[in-house]
Amino acid sequence: MLLEIFDPTARPRPIGIDLGTTHSLVAAVRNERPEVLLDCNQEALVPSIVAYDGEEIIVGTPAKARAAIHPTTTIVSVKRFMGRGGDDPETRRMGPYEFVTPKDGEANVVRFRVGRDETVTPVEVSSEILLELKRRAEDEIGTVGGVVITVPAYFDDAQRQATKDAGRLAGLDVLRLLNEPTAAALAYGLDKKKNGTFAVYDLGGGTFDVTILLLDDGVFQVKSTGGDSALGGDDMDQAIAHFFATTLGWEETKMPPAFKRLLLDTARTAKHALTDAETFTVDLPTAAGETRAVAITRAHFEELIVGLLERTGKAAKRALRDAELAAKDLDGVILVGGSTRVPAVRAYVKKIFEQEPLVDLDPDQVVALGAAIQAEMLAGDQLEEQALLLDVIPLSLGIEVGGGVVDKILPRNTTIPTAARASYTTQEDKQTGFEIHVVQGERELAADCRSLARFTLRGIPPMAAGMAKLEVTLRVNADGLLDVEAKELTTGIEQTVSVKPTYGLDDEAVEKMLMDAIDFGEDDLLRRRLAEARVEGQRILRGTEKALAADAALLEEGERAGIDIAMANLRAAIEGTEPSRVTAAIESLDKATNPFAGRRMNRAIAQAVEGRKLDEIEKGV
Amino acid sequence: MLDPFARLGIPRGFAIDRKAAEKNHRELSRALHPDRYLGAAPAERNRALSEAADVNEAWRIVRDPIRRAEALFRLAGATVGETSEPKTAPSFLMEMMELRESLDEAKSRKDPSAVTRVSAEVDSKLATLEQRFAKLFSAERTADAHEAGAALGLLGELRFYARAKETIREIQEAFEDAGA
Repeated sequence: MLLEIFDPTARPRPIGIDLGTTHSLVAAVRNERPEVLLDCNQEALVPSIVAYDGEEIIVGTPAKARAAIHPTTTIVSVKRFMGRGGDDPETRRMGPYEFVTPKDGEANVVRFRVGRDETVTPVEVSSEILLELKRRAEDEIGTVGGVVITVPAYFDDAQRQATKDAGRLAGLDVLRLLNEPTAAALAYGLDKKKNGTFAVYDLGGGTFDVTILLLDDGVFQVKSTGGDSALGGDDMDQAIAHFFATTLGWEETKMPPAFKRLLLDTARTAKHALTDAETFTVDLPTAAGETRAVAITRAHFEELIVGLLERTGKAAKRALRDAELAAKDLDGVILVGGSTRVPAVRAYVKKIFEQEPLVDLDPDQVVALGAAIQAEMLAGDQLEEQALLLDVIPLSLGIEVGGGVVDKILPRNTTIPTAARASYTTQEDKQTGFEIHVVQGERELAADCRSLARFTLRGIPPMAAGMAKLEVTLRVNADGLLDVEAKELTTGIEQTVSVKPTYGLDDEAVEKMLMDAIDFGEDDLLRRRLAEARVEGQRILRGTEKALAADAALLEEGERAGIDIAMANLRAAIEGTEPSRVTAAIESLDKATNPFAGRRMNRAIAQAVEGRKLDEIEKGV
Repeated sequence: MLDPFARLGIPRGFAIDRKAAEKNHRELSRALHPDRYLGAAPAERNRALSEAADVNEAWRIVRDPIRRAEALFRLAGATVGETSEPKTAPSFLMEMMELRESLDEAKSRKDPSAVTRVSAEVDSKLATLEQRFAKLFSAERTADAHEAGAALGLLGELRFYARAKETIREIQEAFEDAGA
């Protein structure tokens, strides 16, 4: 395959990435089967660890060794910090890092100090992991095309946005953010070709998700989802480490960072050993400076994690209730995440779902395999079968109204993409501004929910209270990402406000990071734009060709000639070197195919709802 | 205005064939989901996105009894919302307070059987209300603006009982958690 690797015109291939808390994987569909891509040592997992050593950035297994020696500049489990506020006291307790408080005017995101004058954000750390995976994929399959990156279903908007930013920063064309449990179901579903209702119990390193979904002839519909974005195997390690520390007489605040790291690593080793062994013993230093052997039994370990398991059980029951199902209605339970290897976890899953869980696929790999399948379905040409994923928003979205109460506009488990409008009015006479605060969560008070965005709609002409009519639209796209729009209707003034996330980096900040990271010259930037425009142009050419081949009958007389000319122009522009010409040619082709596209869409709607005539549907729209 | 019933290709009425509606939603999604249009020209892609969003909005409205009822009133020409709906009748206010009190009492006394009793009461009230809505808005005959306007007060009752049901569920969950 050497030829393929060095052939610059080789067709880019889509990949799927599982960007995990403890480790990450990359997979691709090869010979019509999804496959995890291995490194030269035949390793599938890349530890999600990034070490900063002066100029050098080390990722994966080599970085792991460094964590014990340089704990503050080696970032472990960075996923837990994605989309979190830099001033959030909760995050400061997670890991032995030096946190830098964001300065005024700086984005409110977590910053780790990794050098004397150097700080990095979780987005940057994650992008290093993605770059490493991209390199691995390039070694195996040649040019990398689009990528599907998985996220926990329970990730909120800020966490999703951060993940997408990390992808962009790594120079990847992110086709889709895919929920991990949905990816797992996809990997199982295509394998089993079975219709029915399934639960996915996903206990990873740092996050827990439970999802109920329905498989119906190639459509995977998520019925409900629940979980906890700060609960996972790491908490088991913490519990064991805490037990060790207390036994040895250490006080949490007086432990040196390197010892904390060692303790956590030992705890993880203990956890893994206790899968098969009844007891685990290790020599560790006491607070007084002596060395002592400490032991933990499996029974004691299971006792330590009872509370954690019960939290997962609560979320599982709620997900079942939201889906209006009982445990016995399920056709199968899929286990995902390394933490589901713990025997106590398996026993607990069996208890709450009243059945033996499915374990045919490796719980560490199943998510990456599903991501690869989705990537191939979106951008590849290897799969005959076309499955479709209908996902939902995991948490309700709402607007803060009077008294700090949340007006829930989009309830949790709403199928995406979706949009909803809500109307408000002014509270005071001559009020010219209106503050809009968008929150995510289930609680009644805005203060108890996650704040996503806050902005003021200005320029409302002075009116009596209650006269202005403000319409707020929330849109969630197929990635689960939010977009907010606000308008004042009575005066005909339409103001569209694009949201600046409360926690996260705005587009400008990401753009700047991109420039800094790659040290772009003008030429590089132009080349990059051209490459992106070419990919987009080729994608559209392929789509148009497909549509013409399938539905030539829907063309009107003379229409084909115009489309053919526009396609020829686009092909010529792609051969050229001007990105703006490619963009213009795409626009012309878009115009030329617009009426044809409309006819195709109407027919698709009519065919979907059997027995209804086209004109009836048009009236309904 | 979006007619969620037309959008899903189901008859307009309060009583719905949930299975059929769900099936149509799935089939429409299969045809319109943005994933199906990734290679399409931008205009076609945008149109698919807004169509798919509409279909999902329609399903969100139709599956929820309150949103479904509100949509039916709107389609009949009545104005839905706090300012246009009639003030709650004193007798119903009394009923609301009594129900809230018995729930609070059952909660503080930790009495699951009392909660179950209130729950059954709420269920029967909801069933009666739903029958009235089904009569007002059926596929054969649907209320006109005048008739719908006169019945607007029922919406407040539906909202109240639906909220009561939520509260009951929360109390039951709290009992379950405490028991486990």
